[in-house]
Amino acid sequence: MLKIRGLRKQYGKQIAVDGVDLDVDRGETVVIMGPSGCGKSTLIRCINRLTEPDAGDILLDGQSILSLDDQSLRAFRRTVGFVFQQFNLIARLSVLDNVMFHLVLAGVPRVQAETRAKQALARVGLSGAENKNPANLSGGEQQRVGIARALASNPQLMLWDEPTASLDPILIGEVLDVMEELVRTTNTTSVIVTHEVGFALKVADRIILMDKGKIVEEGSPRAIFADPQSDVGKKYQRLIAS
Amino acid sequence: MFRFFRDGLYRDYIILILVTIIVGAAVSSGVAWAVDAYFGDTIQEMIGDNGEYDLILHIREASEEAAYRELERIAQQQYPGAVISKTISLAGQVNYLFGFPQEAKTVETFSRLPSIFNAVPGLNAYTVIVEPSVLVRGVHPSVSEVLQQRFNEIDGVSFAFNDGKNMLIVLESAEHSKTVMNEARRIIKEYQVLEIRFPMGFDVDVQTTGNEVMQLLSQEYPGTRLANVSSAEYGEELDALMKTLVEMRHFLLSYASKVKIKLEPQSRLVVGEQILVQGVSEQVPVTGQDAAPDHVMIEILEITGDQAQGMIVSGSVAANGGILTQPGYKYMSENKVGQLVGEVQIENERYRLNYAINESLRLLRELDDLSVEAATAVERADKVLTTFQEALMQLEVLQVQMQQLNKGLAENGVQSTSEQLIISLFLNGLLKNIAKSGSEAAAEFDLGELENLDVASMRSSLSNLAEQIGSIQEIDVQAIIDQITDIRDSLPELDDEEIGKSVHLVDNYIAGQVIPGERIQILVENGSIDEEKVEPLIRDQLQNQYLNIYSIAVGTVNPDTRTEVFRILKEVRATIAGILSIVLVGVFLMLDHATIFSTLKWFRANQKQPKHRLARFLNPIVIFGAVVGMTILVTTYSLSNASIPYVSMPMVAVIGTGLGVMIGMFSEKFSPVRADEIMAGLALGLSNAQIMHEIVIPDGRPGLLNLLNRTKQKF
Repeated sequence: MLKIRGLRKQYGKQIAVDGVDLDVDRGETVVIMGPSGCGKSTLIRCINRLTEPDAGDILLDGQSILSLDDQSLRAFRRTVGFVFQQFNLIARLSVLDNVMFHLVLAGVPRVQAETRAKQALARVGLSGAENKNPANLSGGEQQRVGIARALASNPQLMLWDEPTASLDPILIGEVLDVMEELVRTTNTTSVIVTHEVGFALKVADRIILMDKGKIVEEGSPRAIFADPQSDVGKKYQRLIAS
Repeated sequence: MFRFFRDGLYRDYIILILVTIIVGAAVSSGVAWAVDAYFGDTIQEMIGDNGEYDLILHIREASEEAAYRELERIAQQQYPGAVISKTISLAGQVNYLFGFPQEAKTVETFSRLPSIFNAVPGLNAYTVIVEPSVLVRGVHPSVSEVLQQRFNEIDGVSFAFNDGKNMLIVLESAEHSKTVMNEARRIIKEYQVLEIRFPMGFDVDVQTTGNEVMQLLSQEYPGTRLANVSSAEYGEELDALMKTLVEMRHFLLSYASKVKIKLEPQSRLVVGEQILVQGVSEQVPVTGQDAAPDHVMIEILEITGDQAQGMIVSGSVAANGGILTQPGYKYMSENKVGQLVGEVQIENERYRLNYAINESLRLLRELDDLSVEAATAVERADKVLTTFQEALMQLEVLQVQMQQLNKGLAENGVQSTSEQLIISLFLNGLLKNIAKSGSEAAAEFDLGELENLDVASMRSSLSNLAEQIGSIQEIDVQAIIDQITDIRDSLPELDDEEIGKSVHLVDNYIAGQVIPGERIQILVENGSIDEEKVEPLIRDQLQNQYLNIYSIAVGTVNPDTRTEVFRILKEVRATIAGILSIVLVGVFLMLDHATIFSTLKWFRANQKQPKHRLARFLNPIVIFGAVVGMTILVTTYSLSNASIPYVSMPMVAVIGTGLGVMIGMFSEKFSPVRADEIMAGLALGLSNAQIMHEIVIPDGRPGLLNLLNRTKQKF
């Protein structure tokens, strides 16, 4: 479904992504792990061109994402759910509006959009919080609103950019539970960037380890953590063992 | 950057710019118009209707009551029908409007305004606001009179008069204003004052140098009428003061003691040197010793051969002395007495004058007494003459009787008796004595001679004498005495030292009064001299490369005060509109456009870096801001009819550019955007327009952009 070839992104002299090749099958859950600054988030943001890559190509069902014009790109983005590390909610809108507003702007009738939004909120356990302001929610709840917003458009591809990185340990669990539930119950293709090894072991079909902008190892969770080949993999192995 | 605007934002942004311009221009001109209207009404209240009042009298608040009473008195007694009205008070000063009755609005009235109002208590100043009129400011005094005359000859002019350095041309009606202004300008252009300015420190003899310049200009511009008017600006008052000072100097010198020095052959003196004499000091001057403080110091004024004249500059001679003669010594430095220079004779003129006046007074009193006595004597003489005449007649009768007696005696042949002889001898003797007493010239008694005495002529002489004495008696001698006494009493009580110092002071002032020597003014009539052309010529002629030449108009024509005030108001309105335009455009840029600039910056930062080095260096958003700022400000400024003094349209464009650049550079400070929300919008597939309408603008600062967005905003 998703093919990434020779992807490269550089910020000044700093190479963030250095010639990454990656294939993701439909319905597959791929977890990308690696130390901070290894280029995980850049890679995932390049997939929906929130960050423009310098070189390489990204193909979705054979269609190059990088060659899309503005309108097509927007249409593509509407099929991709993106969950941000910082939630990125619209502060002035209510929870319900946050979840439905992009649907309405995409042309979905307001009533239908509202229904879909409420369903998405129910899936993340936030029924009854529709009229609340995001600022009045906990971090975990805010992230669940972000997840509901991504789910509301029924995406064919879900991109998760360290969704628990901004949460304190107590709240991480509730988000991870929701994520695990979603991954297990839907057939959506997911690319997840996370540091949560336990979560990765539970949900990942395949784990990609990155270091210094490159993929240094990939494979099934058991294979990666049982017999890691890369230094990064070995570090994760030691982490699990401890 | 322009990709950002593609999906419909172009139109929205153009609408925003247009609305910004329209609202900016409307608010600027609206506020300015309101201010203009307010001040216009206020001024109308302040200075009354057109032509209603002629003067604004500025009076100290403390004297208001007394001043008003005096103004009322002037209005009632001198100008019945005059109107008075109090207007605004400012900073401890009340202002009264005064309007003369129509028949009193004459050149005579306006020419003597100071004397009309000089008795108004607390009057600080007055402003002439007579209407309709044309004001000529800064009239050069040298042409004031001729301009007044020529202005009076213009059609539609009632009269022209001087008000300080200005001249007001009072019109018959306001319709003549434009034509009179044009004509006045034309007349003024016929005159030109060429001013030659010398650098600081140059002391110039204005007359001589001015004449030299005029000679040069006459050669260069034949036929042009020129006049040196350097001192005209200082007015007739200064001339009068100078003359008074000169006269005062003459008087003081003649009033001072006359000092004559008969010089010793070996003495060498120069004018200005000082000598000393003993005066009334007890200490006799001795060569080589110190001079005493009470020695009389004399300054040499003039030397002719072996005679010199001087003036006492320190010390005094005895007040009652007539002439003092003493040896004079040169006064040396360090207060030493020098060599003998000659014999000094000091005549105290004040003593002599005083003596002469006293003698005159005594003479007048004597004359008065003398005339009374003379009148009495003439009266007596007249009586004597009458008595004499009667006696003479009786003698004639007696003589006839005696002749008859003698004849009778002779005819009768009778020898005279001794009695008759005695009578005859007695009568002859008596007659002889009478004749002698009547005429000393008569050697013997001759009644015929007595009869020949011209008694009528004598009486006529006596009568003339009596008339002359009467005339003398008619003279009011007492009045003369009183006046001379007054003159004597009013003579300055100055001693020689004080006179000397005063003369010195006057000399110094007159000497320094070359009329501030740094400039010369030449009046040019019926011609035009190019100052740039003649400057090098005059520099060469006067051998001074540092002087500068300017051409000065002899006056500037302005409309009357009201028109001027309203013109100023118009300028104020335009200035307010201009300032408001700039402020409003700044505010709009800050509130509305800064939001867009910030968003553009965010997008630019998240795009690929431009390859071109110049594009990296020149931030297109700042350039865009500059163009937007300039466009909005220039258009708003023009539409609101704004005009700030000394700020031209290119300068306005520069200001607009500056504002745009500033807002472009610091847009995030003025209107920050939430990057995470924009990022979410992009990730959710929103267009740029949708991101702006739903995320950026609603979250931005309240302003036009926010207001316009309301129609497009769905959430």
